[in-house]
Amino acid sequence: MLETEGLITEDNLARVKDLLATMEAGDEAGAKEVLDELAHIRESDIYQEMGKLTRELHDAIKTFGMDDQIATIAEHEIPDARARLKHVIEMTDKAANRTMDAVEESLPICEGMVSRSSDLHDSWKRFRQRDMDVNEFRVLAQQLDTFLEENTSDAGKVRASLNDVLMAQDFQDLTSQIIKRVISLVEQVEDKLIGLVSLTGEQFAKPSERKHEDGLEATGPAVPGLDDAAVVSGQDEVDDLLSSLGF
Amino acid sequence: MKILVVDDFSTMRRIIKNLLRDLGFTNTAEADDGTTALPMLQNGDFDFLVTDWNMPGMQGIDLLKAVRADAKLASMPVLMVTAEQKREQIVEAAQAGVNGYIVKPFTAQTLKEKLEKIFERID
Repeated sequence: MLETEGLITEDNLARVKDLLATMEAGDEAGAKEVLDELAHIRESDIYQEMGKLTRELHDAIKTFGMDDQIATIAEHEIPDARARLKHVIEMTDKAANRTMDAVEESLPICEGMVSRSSDLHDSWKRFRQRDMDVNEFRVLAQQLDTFLEENTSDAGKVRASLNDVLMAQDFQDLTSQIIKRVISLVEQVEDKLIGLVSLTGEQFAKPSERKHEDGLEATGPAVPGLDDAAVVSGQDEVDDLLSSLGF
Repeated sequence: MKILVVDDFSTMRRIIKNLLRDLGFTNTAEADDGTTALPMLQNGDFDFLVTDWNMPGMQGIDLLKAVRADAKLASMPVLMVTAEQKREQIVEAAQAGVNGYIVKPFTAQTLKEKLEKIFERID
């Protein structure tokens, strides 16, 4: 039973038989006519196939384009994510500066406490060794009063600064929430891109080898598990590498 | 001893300046990339350069090369403090004539050790 569609049909078989007959009969013009007819049929098949593909592609592009989620992502969510990530940078910057402000305020206070304690300790040792007259002792007693007073006030200042350092860490919670939201957007974009790749067919079916970055291009901090063996794991490895180079 | 600290992040410059002050180096200045740092070095009286690698404008590695290529600055000790930690980059910096290489994040102790090592060699 022969197909009614495709290449092997009753009609085409008859044409081939005609072709054979005309050729055997030495009928040059007749053979050419049958051959042309066959070629024409083949061409129209190809055109039909191309038409079908074009329609499919058109539909696919339409489906993709009509997915308004993509438009929303491109027009609103990506610029929005960019602004949110900038806000993360600002928040971490502010927290770092707030922490350093508190530390820089506390350091001289601590240095003052150390130097006053050490002065007082010297006088106290002399007193304990009974190497101090009454007048000197009066001065010491006054120094001690001042010391205790200043220490109470300074310790209070340091405590306030430490509290400020503690409070400055609230950025971690807030920035994490923002970053999590951006990660979920990246996942959505990834889904859409995979959809697009599958629409374009096998051309992109096999991902090419991940391109390796130029070894000397600055890329910022290495991320554990993501960056390859060309990266040192810490200062010790840097030192080893440099000493192997004669440093 | 006058030190120039070059990093595009002001927080990192502030950390390094604080650590340097703690080590007794109080005379420091700041620049946020190689383009601003180079003229400061050429016109100033700096004795030491601490620089990041990854910065907009002129990168740290190019600043290092420019310093080594400048007759007046060529012998200035340069310490790199950077998050760049590819072996090739460390080798590149060594070949360009860096005097020390610290990867971020780093500790105050590491900075102290590297500075001491550099000064030991200069003396």
